[in-house]
Amino acid sequence: MTPSLKILDYALASLLRRKYKHLALLAVYTLTVAVLASVLFMTQSLRQEAEALLSTAPALVVQKLVGGRHDLIAEDYAAQIRTLPGVRGVEARIWGYYYDSLYGVNLTLLGWTSAQGETLELLRGQLPQQPGDCALGAGVAQTYGVEIDDSLVLVDQRNQSRIFRVSGIFSSDSQLLTQDLLVLGNADLRAFFEIPTGLAVDLAVQVYNPREIATLAAKIRQQLPATRPIARSEILHSYRTVFNWRSGMILSLLLTALLAFAILAWDRASGLGAAEKHEIGILKALGWTTSDVLQLKFWEGLCLSLTAFILGTLGGWIQVYQFGGGLLRPFFSGWSVLFPQFDLYPALSFYELASLGALTIFPYLVCTLVPAWKNAVSDPDAVMRS
Amino acid sequence: MTTLLRAENLVKIYHQHQPDEVRAVRDVSVAVQSGEVLVLRGPSGSGKTSLLSLLGCMARPTSGRLFFADQDVTRLPEHFLAGIRQQSFGFIFQQFNLVRELSVIDNVLLPLYPTRLGFAEMKRRATEILAQLHIDQRRNFKVAQLSGGEQQRVAIARALINHPPLIIADEPTAHLDSQLAAQLMEILTELHQAGKTLIIASHDPFVCDHPLISRRLNLHDGRLQEPGA
Repeated sequence: MTPSLKILDYALASLLRRKYKHLALLAVYTLTVAVLASVLFMTQSLRQEAEALLSTAPALVVQKLVGGRHDLIAEDYAAQIRTLPGVRGVEARIWGYYYDSLYGVNLTLLGWTSAQGETLELLRGQLPQQPGDCALGAGVAQTYGVEIDDSLVLVDQRNQSRIFRVSGIFSSDSQLLTQDLLVLGNADLRAFFEIPTGLAVDLAVQVYNPREIATLAAKIRQQLPATRPIARSEILHSYRTVFNWRSGMILSLLLTALLAFAILAWDRASGLGAAEKHEIGILKALGWTTSDVLQLKFWEGLCLSLTAFILGTLGGWIQVYQFGGGLLRPFFSGWSVLFPQFDLYPALSFYELASLGALTIFPYLVCTLVPAWKNAVSDPDAVMRS
Repeated sequence: MTTLLRAENLVKIYHQHQPDEVRAVRDVSVAVQSGEVLVLRGPSGSGKTSLLSLLGCMARPTSGRLFFADQDVTRLPEHFLAGIRQQSFGFIFQQFNLVRELSVIDNVLLPLYPTRLGFAEMKRRATEILAQLHIDQRRNFKVAQLSGGEQQRVAIARALINHPPLIIADEPTAHLDSQLAAQLMEILTELHQAGKTLIIASHDPFVCDHPLISRRLNLHDGRLQEPGA
């Protein structure tokens, strides 16, 4: 049997010998890892959610700006854009937000267009075919407790109740879409929001070649200076930036906690108890080399940090995906905006896990090995005098 | 008889060039023959433990040279010295220096962890030695539960587990009553009869005047008063 395996065996026995001390350390360590893992999982999931959401969005959206603010756009603009080479189609979109104070939900109301049918997976029924029909995301249907052919009452721009028949319930790869989207006929929605005929909220532009989006956007901006073309990739980039920024902010704050933990680990290791120092001296006197002692401390640290890493990562996973990341959600979604409730889909990235491991295991090993090395290099004759 | 250990002009200064500088060992030259029982005697603070540390390769001399089996070990790298300690020396410390949270057998096994011996062989050896020292019935006890005499025997078993040719004992009777001290000397006699070389530091007349002792060296202020006598 190799000495390394025997030293590993001794390290495990050593951890168990001082179990209360190591359990306390493990608890703090696991908590630190769990919080960091939660942030990483949440960020990864939100990025994935944003990507799923935007995969259904048009390649290019053209909005009108008045005084730097988004305004209704003339549907005539669609004809001008359609003449540009590379444009496959342009659709005027009617949509808007609706807050239902009774249920406390914020919905996105979307006028049905032919393009929408491709991205929504109908679970039951059909998309609106007649005036007064509506289709809901599965989450919205659950919130309102409605099924196919049930009635749904919404209050319009004039504060009048409008009754819609639920014609279909759909799902989507994006949780957000199923939790906040309600699809109406275009005419119904125009009436609901009192959007005048000939105007739309924005124009969805489909292109033949995605690599020409930037060129097309520049041409649209040139021809129609009052408009703002927004590419899907720009929105995705914005989402990523926002989530990365928020994640970065939280991680920066948590680094303080990590640093505090590192100091604790350092203090624990450098302030090796008299018994531990004495034990190192005995081992050296009995023929253990400095590297044997370091190997012992390395195994101890690795066992402890790997256990904390696995438990912490599992804890973070459970916190985010079983309990919806309740502790961190406000940091990511903000407090001042009403967001629909949605479940986070698990997203595991090897890179993120490796980063987490490097961020938590490596510093702990350094923090414990360096002070242990300082003790281990001393002459063992100190033990003769103890 | 062959020379097992030879020290030439050993000097050990602690905290050199500092206000609290201590000259613990001064210009000591001594040769230890294989199979002899050597006692270093002297009052407390005379440098016995420091000299034992140097002879046991546990500390490096400030100056002078140390030879073990005719090999100059003075400037050998740390891991070579650890190897010599592990293979050739058995240490019996004044305070026993047992790991209190470990069981008797686990303490005895400690020197064998960095070796290539399997656990089965390690345990066989430990059991055998514990039986020789009549402490095998306590093999699974924590050492903190043992009496002073029993702890002493555990320390001796640990010193013997690697079958060393040289046993170094520092004040071995310091914490034992006269009956236990007599038992210890019987054990040391058996070790001597088994061919072991013994270096014992003690100021206990019972040890120093014991018939087992083949040579006595007096230390005073770190100097040998009767070098080689």
